[in-house]
Amino acid sequence: MATNAHAEGEGRQPIVAHHFNNIRQQQASVRFGMWVFLVTEVLFFGGVLCAYAACRIWYPKEFEAGSTALNPFIASINTFLLLSSSFTITLAIRAAYKGQRDGLRLWLASTIVLGTVFLGFKAKEYYGDYEEGLIPGPQKTLVDDVDATGKPVLREVSVFAVNLKHVLEHKNAKAKAISDKMTWNERDRTQMFFVFYYSITGLHVIHMIVGLGLLVWQLILAQIGFFEPTERHVYIEVMSLYWHFVDLVWIFLFPLLYMAGHHSMDGAF
Amino acid sequence: MATTHAPATTPTTLELDYTPQTAPPVVDVDGPPKVHYLNHSFGWLSWLLTVDHKRIGILYLIPLTIFFMCGGIAAGLVRLNLIQPYGAILELDQYNKAFTAHGTIMLFLFLIPVIPGVLGNFFVPMMIGAKDMAFPKLNLASWYVWMGGAMFFIAALLFGGLDTGWTFYPPYSSKYSHTNVIWAGLGVFITGFSSILTGLNIIATVHKMRAPGMTWGRLPLFVWAMYATSVIQILATPVLAMAVCLLATERIFGVGIFDPSLGGDPLLFQHLFWYYSHPAVYIMILPGMGVINEVITCFSRKNIFGYKAVAWSSVGIAVVGFLVWGHHMFLSGQGVYLGMVFSVLTMLVAIPSAVKVFNWTATFYGGQITFEAPMLFTIGFIVLFTIGGLTGLFLGILGTDIHLHDTYFVIAHFHFTMVGGMMFAWQAGLHFYWPKMTGKMYSDFWSRLAAVIMLVGFSLTFLPQFVAGYHGLPRRYPYYPVEFQMMNILSTAGATIQGFGYLMPAVYLPLSLFFGRNAGANPWRATGLEWQTPSPPTMHNFEELPIVTHGPYEYALPSKFTLEDGHAHETKGGNGGH
Amino acid sequence: MSEHVQKPIVFEDDHAEPASVASSTLTFLFLAGLACLAMMIGFTDLGPAKVWVSLGVASVQGLVLTLFFMDLRHADKLTWLTAMAAVFWTFLLFLFTLTDYLTRHYYAF
Repeated sequence: MATNAHAEGEGRQPIVAHHFNNIRQQQASVRFGMWVFLVTEVLFFGGVLCAYAACRIWYPKEFEAGSTALNPFIASINTFLLLSSSFTITLAIRAAYKGQRDGLRLWLASTIVLGTVFLGFKAKEYYGDYEEGLIPGPQKTLVDDVDATGKPVLREVSVFAVNLKHVLEHKNAKAKAISDKMTWNERDRTQMFFVFYYSITGLHVIHMIVGLGLLVWQLILAQIGFFEPTERHVYIEVMSLYWHFVDLVWIFLFPLLYMAGHHSMDGAF
Repeated sequence: MATTHAPATTPTTLELDYTPQTAPPVVDVDGPPKVHYLNHSFGWLSWLLTVDHKRIGILYLIPLTIFFMCGGIAAGLVRLNLIQPYGAILELDQYNKAFTAHGTIMLFLFLIPVIPGVLGNFFVPMMIGAKDMAFPKLNLASWYVWMGGAMFFIAALLFGGLDTGWTFYPPYSSKYSHTNVIWAGLGVFITGFSSILTGLNIIATVHKMRAPGMTWGRLPLFVWAMYATSVIQILATPVLAMAVCLLATERIFGVGIFDPSLGGDPLLFQHLFWYYSHPAVYIMILPGMGVINEVITCFSRKNIFGYKAVAWSSVGIAVVGFLVWGHHMFLSGQGVYLGMVFSVLTMLVAIPSAVKVFNWTATFYGGQITFEAPMLFTIGFIVLFTIGGLTGLFLGILGTDIHLHDTYFVIAHFHFTMVGGMMFAWQAGLHFYWPKMTGKMYSDFWSRLAAVIMLVGFSLTFLPQFVAGYHGLPRRYPYYPVEFQMMNILSTAGATIQGFGYLMPAVYLPLSLFFGRNAGANPWRATGLEWQTPSPPTMHNFEELPIVTHGPYEYALPSKFTLEDGHAHETKGGNGGH
Repeated sequence: MSEHVQKPIVFEDDHAEPASVASSTLTFLFLAGLACLAMMIGFTDLGPAKVWVSLGVASVQGLVLTLFFMDLRHADKLTWLTAMAAVFWTFLLFLFTLTDYLTRHYYAF
């Protein structure tokens, strides 16, 4: 059993764990394990996107209005941030493979920074939505409306619907046009879009946080020289698979959530 | 070493030789090894921090047994209540909580984890000649996650209960139920995560950890079945997790995705739910089918009939099982044309299942059958599973399902496959592998008696339910018309007998630990790699990396493990195939 | 006996050198370009075609990301099988569920 693959790394734990026969088997297992895990992640997001699709088939207008009320600029910036972080983590793998300790730390750190800035923007976006009152919920209020015969009546609608109307009317001309065509029932049902918006982006954020935690852990490991035996670059590699997957999810969320409505550059800056 | 086996009979004619042969005993004559996985370290921490797949298997066994008892008690309450048309012992809401507790505990905390958790963890690495799972720490983490989820579940059921049925259908579960839906949902989510991790581990292990020579065509069929199960686990479970997440969101925030009064669609939940939960019944039954392959070949002293067919039928069930979930929703408002598609696709599942049953039956043919307890359970499995499977066809056909939907016919069908199938397979597996896991042999008489009692009790419980269901007795109702009372009393009587049957192993198996004789390395003279280790196995399973040169069920070979000994026997008797 | 034991066991060898810096940069630039395209589509009014066009762009992006960044192009058959399984089973989920939503209003009687 004593092959050279069992050489001790830095006097710490052996590079090849006790139950593997050689380093190639271990690397292949680790890599394959992450791919299998990503399959479950695909199905996890697939489930909620399937629900999203079903609801959007029923309520295309509501989804369009809901998406129009979102902030597309922050989302666009975030897309580029995530793509850049995917790029930097790829460079980190290469650095680990080549045994470049400083390069590895640099690229891991930049990935962490880019991810954190993403989360910062995300928090700003959530806060903006919160300030605009775009939070679905059972709270009701009364508004002036007209019934079928044109007689003015008081109508009970959700607070969300009122806020949505307000947001759309003050956003830009296109948004106002969409809002004007909506009935109060449709405004109420736009909550459904926001349930999807918060739950999907929320899950994405949770995945980001987990990923950032792991990246910080790897940065610490890089600092103490865990990755000196370059065989261990495979751990950076599987981490990057996960990180790329988070990016992949965002690539699909961007058109489905943010770009499903009508946006214009008016009032962008 | 070689002198201790029965002399190898060399066939003199061209007849196939099915004479029972002993595989070479490894340390049979010396008794159990001095240091094995149970006694190489002691203390609570050595168990709670272990990464040894065998110890983790035992860690699963103990809580699973307790949960089975809990689920059984809930079932007993339901059955007792049903001996009178207007309820014998329970209030209405207590009745709802009792059948929900029975369903949720049995499914999420027993049937799904039982064989993957115990036998899968314990034997998959041994069967493929590995020292451990591919990710031992993940394996332990999976157990902790599962225990955490189970605690949420048990807490939800103990403090306030749950009355939605195990299916959690909204809008009842999201809006109207006043019980602990959130906590139970969290339990489902977390135990599901554990199920995913176990499946991931087994898939990676089977792909990457096989010993030299262990090709896919030489994998024991239990491993094939576990592999197929794991594929379902990793593909289906995340969707359930998502469904439960959305349900919890809806319930907590009062928003609507599933609530029709807010524009949502209850069927959407059912789609996501059954995308998992229909394949989940194959998560439950496939490992059982895997165990049956091992037991039936051993006690027939024969190679399995049609190895490839059985192996691929496991994969077939796993794949086709994903195409049929809509047959749970024929009467829920699903599109009629989609219902027809699902009905036709449902028929497809019958094919791989029948392939298995026919191949098992053919394996019996010409075998030297002995009736030890595992074999009795296996025969029970084949009979009961066939009945359960065939009655499933009635339910899969759109027309007859309209009559039988949500009646006791469904209950009887499901319990024939899950209790008659999976529970018997689990008992078969437990009895088959108990000597290997503990090194001790249990009472032959009591174990056989338990098998017979379980079979009698089971049949008496669920055969009347077919009749009652066919005559229209709906499921889940606490009250029923008086003319069904006889059926219900029969059923309850059968449940009582069954209960005694399940208690018996709980007594004689633990007693065997103290009073049983040493089992020896290979008490059943089986041929798998796992039997070539001492009982109980040592810490790393194999002293040397095994080299595999034969298929798993070569009972007709005079001696299979010739490579290391150096004296190869000539084989003229063929390989058990026809 | 012992020479058997020391045989290396690698059933599916998926070893490959990580992508070069130039190749990664090129991939990144391509993905960023597609992201710009996705943004442009998002800010134009294409009517009902918009969702399909933007999903198409996202799919190309996803494909490039998987093939080049996640290095699927160098991966072995098993990894391809795994990735395809994810796509196929997601497809199944969408296929049957959305079939229901698109055909539910047709009655058979």
